[in-house]
Amino acid sequence: MTSGHPHPAIAIAGHEYRSATRNRVLAILVVGMVLVAAASVTIASYDFKAQIADYNSYVAQAKAAGVAVTAPPQLFPLQLLRPVIEYVQIIGAVFAIGLGYLTVARERTGNTLRLLLTRPVRNTDLMFGRLLGAGALIVTILGATALISVFLIGVLGGTWLGGGDLLRVAITFLTGSLYMLIFYALGVWLSARSRALVNGLVVALVAWLMVVLIIPQIGDTMDPDNQVPGGLFAALQVQKADEKKVLAHFSTYERIRNDLEETSLTKHFERLTFAVTGIKDKYNGVSLATVAADKRGDIAWLGVYAALLATLMWSGIRRESVTGKDT
Amino acid sequence: MPNRATQAPKAETPAPTGEGAIIEMAGVGHRYGQSDALRGIDLTVSEGEIFGFLGHNGAGKTTTIHILTTLIVPTSGSARVCGHDVVAHRLDVQRAIGYLPENVRMYDHLTARENLRFFARLSGVADIPRAIDDALGFLGCQDLADRRVGTFSKGMRQRIGIAQAILHRPRVLFLDEPTSGLDPMGVRQLRDTIERLNAELGMTIFMNTHLLSEVSRVCSTIGVLADGELIYRDTLARTLECFPDEASLEDIYVRLEDG
Repeated sequence: MTSGHPHPAIAIAGHEYRSATRNRVLAILVVGMVLVAAASVTIASYDFKAQIADYNSYVAQAKAAGVAVTAPPQLFPLQLLRPVIEYVQIIGAVFAIGLGYLTVARERTGNTLRLLLTRPVRNTDLMFGRLLGAGALIVTILGATALISVFLIGVLGGTWLGGGDLLRVAITFLTGSLYMLIFYALGVWLSARSRALVNGLVVALVAWLMVVLIIPQIGDTMDPDNQVPGGLFAALQVQKADEKKVLAHFSTYERIRNDLEETSLTKHFERLTFAVTGIKDKYNGVSLATVAADKRGDIAWLGVYAALLATLMWSGIRRESVTGKDT
Repeated sequence: MPNRATQAPKAETPAPTGEGAIIEMAGVGHRYGQSDALRGIDLTVSEGEIFGFLGHNGAGKTTTIHILTTLIVPTSGSARVCGHDVVAHRLDVQRAIGYLPENVRMYDHLTARENLRFFARLSGVADIPRAIDDALGFLGCQDLADRRVGTFSKGMRQRIGIAQAILHRPRVLFLDEPTSGLDPMGVRQLRDTIERLNAELGMTIFMNTHLLSEVSRVCSTIGVLADGELIYRDTLARTLECFPDEASLEDIYVRLEDG
């Protein structure tokens, strides 16, 4: 390596970034995601502004009538980010899988992997280069989404976020970047392991379906009280005390249901970001240190998933390298 | 299976060893699952040669190139390129070689220059713009530099592929079936390019092919591989001299293959 030149991992990262930005399908996905995020924040901001206006109007009327004013409603602007986080959870994960698939497909279609592997590049450079390139792209996308969201909350919601809130937004979107990067690694690994590229994509999408949609919903769908609108026990006119007695017979079932939820990366991402932003009411006004302590389990799970997928991606690259098989 | 190398006509000269040898393979074997792709190959190529590696489909030519270019690891024996072991000193080998695989398309969405810039960075080229201009100039395709590779014909892609392989001025250039899919004009241009790379830039060329007409025009030395075994190796001149009864290289090849 000649001094003064970018490290091979940086060159690969730049290449990944440039290649992704020239893909129309990805561009449409990104624009789509940013637009729906902006639309949802716009609607929520208008609603937020309307609630504040209603309260102010009430205060004015109460004062005019000489009536005591009740406490203002709990309005937290960061809660307006809820739909954006949900889009990251669902659409962001699909986008990341697609990005990983395209990384492999690009090399396979152009028969360029062999060229890459015969250059003086270490396997670690290849892996970190790919992760860095994809990470930079994801941070760009989520960064743009965050900026637009903050701007809309300020302009339309009438509330400009302060330093503390901006830090929480940054943590949330950086966590979202890590979450998407894990799905990117999944896309690369499964595509690289598949002889037919499309098989890898299909398996990755099935994994997405399980992790993002099915498992997080298991809690609701397996909950016996959710089987009938209004609640099963209420429909059967079962008293609360009797309901507890009935459920005591299903403690193993309940534990399995909870454990299943625990396996979902998406669930951990949601729990952590909802706590950081105060979307979960009990975390409103709670310091970040307390949130981190309370959510250390979810943070650890995110770390475990990231390490696992990075290891799998590494094994995929090692295999490509040793066997010379196209990714 | 008998070693057919011993049955070949006595045209073989002892393979050069030691000084001047740029590629050395000693007892190199490779297995894919239960089948042997290569069976203990001993081969030496001297610096400055244009070596034509002949063999039918599945004979093991590409496996040999993959081992020499560090893409796969031999399951037995050892191989050295430019004095570096292909397993123990993979990065040193990679710095010293250029490689053009069969049917390479390059990155469609990038221009030729962007493709070359990427590979130049990976190869640690010092003056990248100059190296790109030099490579494109050498191949006479400066006009392609800023066009997207996705719009290129097979022949154009092949030239950009060669440009990426010579950007860092390697000592050895490996070409895997370089004429595959080219029209007659493309084949002729490629032949000229190979000769010039050897004569003007001093590159040793190791070329897999089964186009005997090309071998007879450009190669200085040939090797014949059959079912994973090297059955023949000699200079082209001596080969033609030692088979006076055969009308062409094709006839010689068939005779060697038939044992």
